[in-house]
Amino acid sequence: MSSTFQNVLCELQETQSRLKMKLQELQQQKRERMNFPRDEIPFPVPEVPLVFQGRTQQGRQAPKFMVSDLEICCPLPEGSALVTFEDPKVADRLIQQKEHKIDIEDCRLRVQIQPLELPVVTNIQVCSQPDNHRVLVSGFPAGLKLSEEELLDKLEIFFGKAKNGGGDVETREMLQGTVMLGFADEKVAQHLCQIGQFRVPLGRQQVPLRVSPYVSGEIQKALIKFQQALHSVLVTNIPDILDAQELHDILEIHFQKPTRGGGEVEALTLVPPGQQGLAVFSSMSS
Amino acid sequence: MSPDLSMIVDADMDNKQQTYKELSREIEVIKGEQNEGLIHEILKENLQLEQEIKSLEAELHSDAREFQIKENIPEKKLKFTSMKSSEDGGQFSNSSCSFQVSSQILYKLQKGQALITFEKEEVAQNVITMGKHVVQLEDNSVEVTAQPVPLPIGVRFQVHANVSKMKINVTGIPDELPEEQTRDKLELSFYKSANGGGEVESVDYDKKSGSAVITFLKSGVADKILKKKTYPLYMNPKCYQVTVSPFIERRLEKYQVFSAVSKRTVLLTGLKGIRMDEENVEDLINIHFQRRNNGGGEVDVVKCSLDESCIAYFEE
Repeated sequence: MSSTFQNVLCELQETQSRLKMKLQELQQQKRERMNFPRDEIPFPVPEVPLVFQGRTQQGRQAPKFMVSDLEICCPLPEGSALVTFEDPKVADRLIQQKEHKIDIEDCRLRVQIQPLELPVVTNIQVCSQPDNHRVLVSGFPAGLKLSEEELLDKLEIFFGKAKNGGGDVETREMLQGTVMLGFADEKVAQHLCQIGQFRVPLGRQQVPLRVSPYVSGEIQKALIKFQQALHSVLVTNIPDILDAQELHDILEIHFQKPTRGGGEVEALTLVPPGQQGLAVFSSMSS
Repeated sequence: MSPDLSMIVDADMDNKQQTYKELSREIEVIKGEQNEGLIHEILKENLQLEQEIKSLEAELHSDAREFQIKENIPEKKLKFTSMKSSEDGGQFSNSSCSFQVSSQILYKLQKGQALITFEKEEVAQNVITMGKHVVQLEDNSVEVTAQPVPLPIGVRFQVHANVSKMKINVTGIPDELPEEQTRDKLELSFYKSANGGGEVESVDYDKKSGSAVITFLKSGVADKILKKKTYPLYMNPKCYQVTVSPFIERRLEKYQVFSAVSKRTVLLTGLKGIRMDEENVEDLINIHFQRRNNGGGEVDVVKCSLDESCIAYFEE
C-alpha cells in the first residue's frame, strides 16, 4: 500500500515542480511585458507625432485619460424659455419658487420654473476588440491636396478591386489622419493586412500606404447621473401670446429685476409653440 | 521450560506479536492517513497552480490589442452655450451627452535626464544621430547622450450616450398572465395620466426576462414617470409596483489605437552629479543646442530633472 502511495506522491511532487517552473516563466513574461508594452503589439499601429511643449507635473500620479469636447444636449418643450443667469444663486432662488408670476401690461402670466437635469457620464468601461472585417489605412503624407470625400472615394476605388487584393467595400470612415475601410468579406481584409504595403494613386502621385488590422471599441458600461444645470432655469407654461421677439424682450426685462427675484441675465432663449428646442451645454473652461 | 511457563511465554510472544501487528496496522493506517492528507494537500496546491497558470496565460495570450479602460469621468461645470431648433416641427427624442476621450501620453522624466524640443524635425534627428554631446555647464564638461523619447501606445474615441425622452425601461413584470394580455395590461397602466403616464405608441415586452420597453407618443412623459423609481401596474385584481428606469443608448465612435512618436523632442541622459540650479542647467543646455556647430538648431523647450523625477506631457 505504502509503495503505491509513494509512487503517487512522487508523481504529484514532480507535477508540482513542473507547474511551479511554468508559473515562474509566465510571471517573468508578464513582468517583461509591463516594462516594454510596445513590443507586444503584434501589428503596425498608425503613428501620431506628439511634442513636449513644456507641460509638466510633479509627482508620480497622472490621469491616464483626457476628456474633451464635452457636449450635453437637452430638448426643451414648446412654450418654454431657458434663462441663464450670471449668478447661480439667482437660478437657485427662482427654482425654490416653482410658481412665478410675470406682469405684462394688464395681464399676469402664471408660469412654472424648473431646474434642468443634464445627463452626465460619470464612469466608463470600454474594451477593445479586433474587427476582422475592417482595416486601417495609414501613412498619408502631409499636404495631400484632396478633400475628405475625394480621398475616401479614391481609396474605395483602389481597395475595391480584386486585382489590388481588395473586394467589396461596405463602410469607410475618416479617423483623424487615418482611414478605416470595412469589407464585406473578412478574408479580403485579412489578405490586405498580410500584403501590408501598397502604392495607391491619389491624384497625381503614387503614395505608399500601409494597411493594418482595425481594432474597434465597445462600451461595456457607461454610468449616467443627472446633474442640475446651475446657472439656468427652465420656464414652462408660457402662453402663446404676443410676437416672439416682444415676448423675448419682456421676459428678459422681467428676469433682470432683482425685485422679482431675478438678476443679470446671460442668455434667454424662447421656444415658440409648435416647435421644440435643443439646448446645448458645454463644459466651462476654468 | 515447564509446559506452563512455555505457554505463558508463548502467550506473551503471541500478545507481543498481536500488539506489534496492531501497532503496525495503526502505524500503517496513520501513515496512510498522513499520506492521504499529504496527497490531498499536494493535489490542492497543484490545482491552485494550474488555475494561476491558466489565468496568467489568458492574460498574456489575450490579444495584446485588447485594451481595457475603466475610468471615472471628472465632473465638469456646465454652462449653456447655444440653442438648436427643430426645423420641421419634429421632436427631439433624446437628451444626450457626448465627449472625446484620449490617452494622456506622457514620459516620466528621471533624475539626470532632460527633454529638449527643437523647432525642426531634422535638427532633432541629427542630434540623435550624433549620439554623444559634450555640454559645458559652468566649470564642468558633461557628456550627455541623445536618444529618441520612448512613448507608449495610446487610444482615443468618442462616447455618445442618449437618454430617451420617449422610452422607458420596465423591469420586474410578474409572469402571471399570458404574453398578449400582459402587453395590454402594460399599455393600459402606462396610459393613465393620473399616474403620470401618457399615450403609448408601442410596448416591447419580453416575457422571459419580465421586462419591457414602453415608447410614448409624446416627448416628456418619460421624465414624469421617471421621477419615481416604481410605477403601478394593474393586473386585475392585483396592483404591482414595477421598476422603471431610463432607456439609454450608449455608443462608441471613431475608436483609434495609435502609437505616439516624438519627432521633435529628444531625450538627453547623463546629467549626473550636477550641483546646479535646474533652471540654470536648462538655460545652458538650450544655449548649447541652439548652435549649429554643436549640431543643433532653434530650440523650443528644455526641461531637465536633477532633483526629482517629474511627468512630462506630450501633446499634438
